[in-house]
Amino acid sequence: MQSDGAVLRMRGISKRYGSVTALQGVDFSLAAGEVMALLGENGAGKSTLVKILAGLERADAGTIEIGGVLRRLRSPSQSLHAGVAYVTQELSIVAPLSVAENICLGSDRHALWSRRRLDRVVRRHLDLVGLGDIDSATPAGDLSVAQQQLVEIARLLSRNARILILDEPTAALSDAEIEKVKAVVRTLAAEGRSIIYVTHRLGEVFEIADRVTIFRNGHSFAPMEVKSLDVDRLIEHLLGRRLEQMFPERGSISGPVVLALRDVTAPGLREPVSFDLHKGEILGLAGQLGSGAAAVVRAIAGVTPRLGGTIALHGRPLDARSVRNAIAAGIAYCSDDRKRDGIFAVRNLFENFTSPALPRITVGGVLSRGREVKLASDLAAFFEVARDRLGSHAGKLSGGNQQKVALGKWLGIEPSLLLVEEPTRGVDVGARAEIYRHMRGLANQGLAVVFVSSDNQEVLGLADTVATFFRGRLVRITAAEHLKPEELLRDVTHPEAVAAGGPA
Amino acid sequence: MTSFRPIADVAGAGSGGEFDPRVATRRRRVATAIVIAALVVLAGIGGAFTPTFLTFDNLLVVIRQASITGVIALGMSYVTISGNLFALSAEELAILTACIFGWLMRAKFGLALSLIATLLFAGLGGAVQGGIIALGADPIITTLAFGGFFRGLASVVSQNQNILLGTDAAQWLGTGRPLGVPTQSWAFLILTPLAWIVLQKTRIGRVLVLAGANRAAARSAGLRVGQAALLGLTLLGLCCGLAGISAAAQFGQAVANLFQGLNFDVVAAVLVGGIALRGGQGSPIQAALGAAFIALLQNFMLLNDFSSGWRMTVVGSLVALATCLFHILQRRRE
Amino acid sequence: MNRREAAIDLGVRAAFMALVYLAFALQLPNYYTVHGIAALLDGAVLIGTVSIGVGITMLAGEFDLSVGSLAAVTGVVVIKMVGIGIIPSLIVGVLFAAAIGALQGLIIGVLGINSLVFTIGSLIGLRGVALILSHENSVTIPIDQLSDTDFFTTPLLGVFSPLSAGMVIVFVVAGLFLRFTRWGREIYAIGGGRTEAKAAGVPLLRPMIIAFTCSGALAGLGGAVLSLRLGSATPLGFDTLLLSAATTCLMGGIALEGGRGSVVGIAIGLFTLRFLVTGVASLGAPYYVQNLAAGGLLIVVVVVQLLATRHRQRRARMTLALQPG
Repeated sequence: MQSDGAVLRMRGISKRYGSVTALQGVDFSLAAGEVMALLGENGAGKSTLVKILAGLERADAGTIEIGGVLRRLRSPSQSLHAGVAYVTQELSIVAPLSVAENICLGSDRHALWSRRRLDRVVRRHLDLVGLGDIDSATPAGDLSVAQQQLVEIARLLSRNARILILDEPTAALSDAEIEKVKAVVRTLAAEGRSIIYVTHRLGEVFEIADRVTIFRNGHSFAPMEVKSLDVDRLIEHLLGRRLEQMFPERGSISGPVVLALRDVTAPGLREPVSFDLHKGEILGLAGQLGSGAAAVVRAIAGVTPRLGGTIALHGRPLDARSVRNAIAAGIAYCSDDRKRDGIFAVRNLFENFTSPALPRITVGGVLSRGREVKLASDLAAFFEVARDRLGSHAGKLSGGNQQKVALGKWLGIEPSLLLVEEPTRGVDVGARAEIYRHMRGLANQGLAVVFVSSDNQEVLGLADTVATFFRGRLVRITAAEHLKPEELLRDVTHPEAVAAGGPA
Repeated sequence: MTSFRPIADVAGAGSGGEFDPRVATRRRRVATAIVIAALVVLAGIGGAFTPTFLTFDNLLVVIRQASITGVIALGMSYVTISGNLFALSAEELAILTACIFGWLMRAKFGLALSLIATLLFAGLGGAVQGGIIALGADPIITTLAFGGFFRGLASVVSQNQNILLGTDAAQWLGTGRPLGVPTQSWAFLILTPLAWIVLQKTRIGRVLVLAGANRAAARSAGLRVGQAALLGLTLLGLCCGLAGISAAAQFGQAVANLFQGLNFDVVAAVLVGGIALRGGQGSPIQAALGAAFIALLQNFMLLNDFSSGWRMTVVGSLVALATCLFHILQRRRE
Repeated sequence: MNRREAAIDLGVRAAFMALVYLAFALQLPNYYTVHGIAALLDGAVLIGTVSIGVGITMLAGEFDLSVGSLAAVTGVVVIKMVGIGIIPSLIVGVLFAAAIGALQGLIIGVLGINSLVFTIGSLIGLRGVALILSHENSVTIPIDQLSDTDFFTTPLLGVFSPLSAGMVIVFVVAGLFLRFTRWGREIYAIGGGRTEAKAAGVPLLRPMIIAFTCSGALAGLGGAVLSLRLGSATPLGFDTLLLSAATTCLMGGIALEGGRGSVVGIAIGLFTLRFLVTGVASLGAPYYVQNLAAGGLLIVVVVVQLLATRHRQRRARMTLALQPG
């Protein structure tokens, strides 16, 4: 299948975001009528590659050939024109428009968009994805996230494109819905279209893909025939060589319990969750998007309401109804999107570092320059941020330094519990090791730390204790040193196989 | 309870330190430099073509022209920096306070009481808008609504006629010239650094800037972001109060059709000063410079017999060009 | 807001309009005579026409502050050109206003600049142009042509004059355009979710230019028609037009953040406002009390909408249960 019949050929694609290399000279090709799975850990570069193909990002170097013709893909509409259609990881549903209009958006060139005509156009596609009984005139915003995801796939079908990209299309879906999606993918491939299927779920690879390309640290490896693989071989390829030297030594945990959850339910969780966290302990919550791992820390931090159960901090019940409550109780929380709510991109580092601790640098309502400089300098020194960067805008820093700021600013409030989602998202490999070292350093000084990560190496390397999550359920809690990488990967991708006691 | 303290207490730290945390942002420096350069160029051209332009008396006229707009632009810069775009009720609140001040004076409440009551009202008028905006209402529409309401209220208070103050007690406030400089210009010259200091040196000023820079981040850092809108609009209200009082005092009467087009003059000053509409950046000084530049330009055109139509067209084009220029500068940097 | 909530929302607004109508109709007989209704409709033409344009830009997630100035310029242009005939000058005026609007849409779309900021500039500048064109004075139709525009308000069909019939046509055409054409839906799309719409392949520039062309043309149409009817145009006129148009749209449920609302809503908003304003006037209150009433009404609408939105958000936060996270 790697012959000249390739519909898509990408050569030497490179892409950097600031100081982070996302893709380094990647070659990729796709044959007609095949389903190609893209596998790789978070940040390995697979999403960047498909975004470049979809016209959402521009490559710094490299060429793209579609159907033997060199193409420049600078916008989603150009990609669409070249025959590439894309379902995003982030939804691209316009909430006030109807289901039918959303499907036709950007491609239906007919001037008249009447309900009846649109319904006729989209009905077939809705049936295929299992939304046959939905009124196509319903505003798309009224649908559940899963249904919206299916509408996106219906949009993909309507576009009549040669190359279809599905970027983690099943993250938010139930089992029955996933079956529909898989059926659709098989039908499309049978029609001769080529499909790029990005996923974290290994089981899906075996069920629908013909070949699989593995990404690691911005490089791609030669495609492999799925028939020649099993789960264990795949995991082996996926993990590659270990980067154990990245992670600091663990300490011994003997402190008192800092945080205790009992039967806690929250938005995003399907079953109650209970665990204890000790002083100086680092707990890693492992899981993919929609697994419920992030839901736990959000409920503790007061971002979402706790719907049931009890949370105790230092033995006292905690009822954080808002982020302010949680902060007052000594809980620091860093979300997974530091650009959105972790840093003030257009302000300097002094202001960023001191932002949660303004009372500490204020005397009678007036900011004390001396205290501000002292606090910010101390925090910068602790996190090894160069002191001469303190005057520059946070937005100008590398991802690693931004993350240090987003984390470090919290030390000013002297927290007893630190909650972090995706501590190294968008951080290059070198700076990752530093962030791990700092988090361990904080734990060694007595801070209790909970982090959420979809990066399994990170979970295994950094955490003392690991809790694995899959589709809103806590799978198990184990000491990290007793957990094998293969077990962890199975837990967060398809724990059913563990229950069955063998590979899928 | 064990709490985590990796950082030594900062209370004992001496003042100063080896770093200056208030390093001006580059954008602000660029924007300020552009406005100052434009001011100098304009003054140079003006001086070369119009002999009377660079005389001390004429510059005093310019500062005076800039003063009312400038004082309100200081308040408006707070609103913009706090991330709340701008308020379209400044003109109307100034008119209303002028009418209330006139009414109080006519009713013989005395100067001190009238002043205090009027300023309280002005602050309250701003605070109510700020409170509604802090709860999440759109600043443009909220202030547009209050603008219409204030204008109607001003007409009701004045019965749509001139309110004669009937006393000279307040006249000095509008026409006095301590050390040869008009009171309004004193207010402008004193309030400009004051506005800068409050924004740079106080905790609430910092909250305002951070909330403007990134509201979500400010909220997740535990800051009360609602304070930002409240402070900005309240201070703007007070500035409008000062403008209203000085106008009523200057003319010895208040009338509901004062301050024609002031809202847009003020916003023009903020925009020409290069303050970014997205918030969190810029300083009141820039708004003051913007007001001064527009006043200088207006004065230059006046001395050269430009009709009012041409003056407005030029100012409008200036605003459009300046906003496009600053927008492109910003985008290229990112 | 889901479909049911949206229907309830529109129903509440319509009920409120009916309430305002009834409150005044009980005291004012001319609220239900043919003549009275005809006068009411004629009085609504200016704000109604301009509100449609403002509403379209709001649907696109933008805001055009320059409508008042553009109406004034167009009024002056049309009056000065009236020698070529009423209808030809009207057409020229509207084309002129549409061209200005298209230019604004082009600049805003290409630069990605905030429309609020840019239209502040054009608001000031266009006012200046009106002053220049009119030599800073009112301009009037020549005496011998004065009666040429009388047909605007002569009854045509029941309560409709050519003027109000024209407004109804504008409403219907705009409603059909926004509801049933691809270009109209693209305006909703860039307002209701700009990044999502772009990712779906909608080119931003086209709906942007269309929206601002509409708002320019309709502001010009409103200004031109009113000036022709009055026989004169003042360069400083139409200064409260923006407030009225924004009030109309907001009361009609056009969401400021874009993407939500309909022409039916604008019509409801329009008549709520007109019932109130003309009612207050008919009761003998001076015109400035009308401003007070309109401003007060908009404040009430803003606060009620704010409370409703906060209520919905609180509820959404509690029922996030099936969202991924």
